[in-house]
Amino acid sequence: MSKSKRVGFRIDMTPMVDVMMLLLTFFMLVTQFKPMDVAEVVLPSSHSAFKLPDSDVMTVTVDKEGSVYLGFDSQNMRGMIFGEENKLRAGMQVQLTELGQLLREARIRNPKLRTVIKGDKESEYQVIQTVMETLQKENITRFNLVTDLER
Amino acid sequence: MANVDVSQSKGKQKHGKKKKSKRIGFRIDMTPMVDVMMLLLTFFMFTTTMNKPQTMEINLPPSNTKADVAESNLLTLRITDDFRIFWNIGVEKPVTVDGADKTAKLVALGKLLKERNSANPKLITLIKVDGKAKYIDMVDVMDELNINDITRFSLAPMLDEDKKMIGTL
Repeated sequence: MSKSKRVGFRIDMTPMVDVMMLLLTFFMLVTQFKPMDVAEVVLPSSHSAFKLPDSDVMTVTVDKEGSVYLGFDSQNMRGMIFGEENKLRAGMQVQLTELGQLLREARIRNPKLRTVIKGDKESEYQVIQTVMETLQKENITRFNLVTDLER
Repeated sequence: MANVDVSQSKGKQKHGKKKKSKRIGFRIDMTPMVDVMMLLLTFFMFTTTMNKPQTMEINLPPSNTKADVAESNLLTLRITDDFRIFWNIGVEKPVTVDGADKTAKLVALGKLLKERNSANPKLITLIKVDGKAKYIDMVDVMDELNINDITRFSLAPMLDEDKKMIGTL
């Protein structure tokens, strides 16, 4: 009798599978929320290890050609700023002249918004400087630059 | 459950019970499903953690405030579009930071900044980058400041006077 117990020995895996299924669904949902890219951007590298906040992020993307895009992490915000029909797009191209107005509008809707600048490493500094000046004018004095971790 | 299943399949004497015992002990082998799930789980776990971007924080003074800084406490860095770094304190004549390549220049700059800041703890660094320079140049310089724990710095646009001063105009 004791030998037959050994032969048919099984562990009930159901609880493990349950937990794994839970984790799997969790991770699948979380990955969906990660921000989409509006434009192809090669990030500059730095030694800074400061992490990007998870929510309430407003991204100003500057690509290689110097075009400026504005994006938000929540669909809700995008719907409010860019109009309902554009809420599924990660961001919209904006003119430097209208950027200030849009930033102000966005911050009225959600005062907790944090601003990050995502610039291509080959883009001209002039554009970045204008963007930073606009932020400064809108009283956004604390912002982040998105970089890659070096080495 | 497991031992009931085994003991009954062993008992061959009772023919009537054999068919029923198969039903009771009915199990699906979940191993392949668990394997696939484990694979997906690891995949998603890795992709989520890998995609967390790093950022560099900048604090700029609001544009409507004017801070008066003594000339001796102001170190100005001017970076040209071909990545030559000029530095000066107050109204001194700008001097280049020498180095064979970009990395060497940045290392030299870091050393210089550290020296100057320990000599004068009230020193404020003002960075002026040429508009035609690349964004990476500015990030590299800022990174060098961050590495050397220099938190008091500001950014200013490069004006024509600055360009004249360093002789690029």
